[in-house]
Amino acid sequence: MFDVFFVQQLVNGLSIGLIYALMAIGFTLIFGVLNVVNFAHGEVYMIGAFAGLLAITQLAPPLFAVILVALAFGALAGFGLERIAFRPFRRFRDEASLKSKAIREATLLSSLAVSIIVRELAEKIFGSNMQSIPQEYLLLKPIEIGPLSFANGQFLIFGLSIVMLGGLQWLLKHTRVGLSIRAVANNPMGAAYVGINTERTIIATFVIGSTLGAIAGLIVGLYQGAIFPAMGFAPGVKAFVAMVMGGLSSIGGAVVCALILGMAEAITTSFFAQGWGDLVAYLFLVITLVFFPTGLFGGGRERV
Amino acid sequence: MTPLLEIKNACRYFGGLHAVEDFSGHVKRGERVGLIGPNGAGKTTLFNLITCFTPLSSGAVFFDDTDISSLKAYRVARLGIARTFQNLRVMPNLSVFDNVSIGALGALGHSPLAALTKRTNYANDIGRRTWDALEQTGLQDHASELAANLSYGKRKYLEIARALALSPRLLILDEPAAGLNDTETAQLAEFVLRLSGEGLSILLVEHDMNFVMSLCERVMVMASGRKIADGSPQEVSNDPVVLEAYLGSEEEAA
Repeated sequence: MFDVFFVQQLVNGLSIGLIYALMAIGFTLIFGVLNVVNFAHGEVYMIGAFAGLLAITQLAPPLFAVILVALAFGALAGFGLERIAFRPFRRFRDEASLKSKAIREATLLSSLAVSIIVRELAEKIFGSNMQSIPQEYLLLKPIEIGPLSFANGQFLIFGLSIVMLGGLQWLLKHTRVGLSIRAVANNPMGAAYVGINTERTIIATFVIGSTLGAIAGLIVGLYQGAIFPAMGFAPGVKAFVAMVMGGLSSIGGAVVCALILGMAEAITTSFFAQGWGDLVAYLFLVITLVFFPTGLFGGGRERV
Repeated sequence: MTPLLEIKNACRYFGGLHAVEDFSGHVKRGERVGLIGPNGAGKTTLFNLITCFTPLSSGAVFFDDTDISSLKAYRVARLGIARTFQNLRVMPNLSVFDNVSIGALGALGHSPLAALTKRTNYANDIGRRTWDALEQTGLQDHASELAANLSYGKRKYLEIARALALSPRLLILDEPAAGLNDTETAQLAEFVLRLSGEGLSILLVEHDMNFVMSLCERVMVMASGRKIADGSPQEVSNDPVVLEAYLGSEEEAA
């Protein structure tokens, strides 16, 4: 059973799981602060990939610079998204509105609307097909270790994900903006009353979450050689499942569940036909909702 | 010298409900003022108006001669009005230290760059303010505990500590003694008196009349959104209008 192919699949699963984790963190951060699911997160992922691709085709800079471009566009997309889809629903600041299900759902739908509009716009401009990526930027150069063969993209995914996950933890635990984010996520009204600028904290959360998403989109695009307007949908769903499994507001839980999900998918595809892999995520979602309504790591504040 | 806090003809309507109706009042520097009234009189709404969490329908609130009526809640906090809540609003999943440092963070504000680069450790200005507030409230031994694990009484002090970390000039306490036993209430009164002795102005809502009467130098009484009395605890407790608001008029009672 533990043949080379299997180990190979596990490593593939781990790297794709890390990508889900990066996206799931974006979801989780924003959910933590606003209590709303940001359905446009998949489009931020797509924007990151397209921004990087445009930089490549226009300027052909080194990969490092391409990542910075994706980072900048991700931050911008997060900022804009908050302005367009989320801010208008926070006009009412009293407690009843903050807890109102109707306002939460309106916000959720507005993020879904922005997601659809952005995706359709991208299809209008770029066409819905996969974009061609210059060969030298594809992250598919094989690296052989013993009998195993990896793509250099996998190492980049490993390295970058771990750096970003670690960086995020540091940011949340040791910086002022991190403390503000944790405060607002815990109790937005209490935070505002002791002088925390909640609006700015929310923007910061969007910018940070979207940056992670955009970079994930770029690396996956280059690694899988597939950059197209609807590319954010599938990983968006997986990351959403990881967030729900992790208990909605637990970053650690989301990361662990994203890794489990990625591995489970990879193992499934190694025993069954390709198409079954996608089913795993939905199966996990159903199992979580039925048996663990507050998530596997549910310090959850409420049922999913 | 103008009072520290001055409320001028404050009104707040929720649809047809007149929660606060033409309320005027003030808190002088260093004064301890109580705000009492039957349930639903609009006391908490008035607090929300002062701290700018609920916008005024009309009227104005001045703090230290500045019109704060249209400011955002966090700005008001930075100006020096800190408050605690009837139903506590501590951050349960953060440590006691982090909870209090939020107040210190709020007081200092920060540029976006500082937000990303400045650490929140024990050594810098935030840490010092946090420790001061923890020591004032006697919570220093609990600094690393999760706020959720504190006892109810300790959590009350935690909220006060968080408010103190702002270095406020006016401290607004919403039912600080609710849920405390007699010993704890007496300790709290002593603590508030000590804060007041350090020059802090206090405005508090409380249902425990002994607490209010022994602690406050002046008491304002609210009923149905209006101010019906304002004076020393002695005057207020003998005021027939106040007695009527609390107990109903004599004819009704008969």
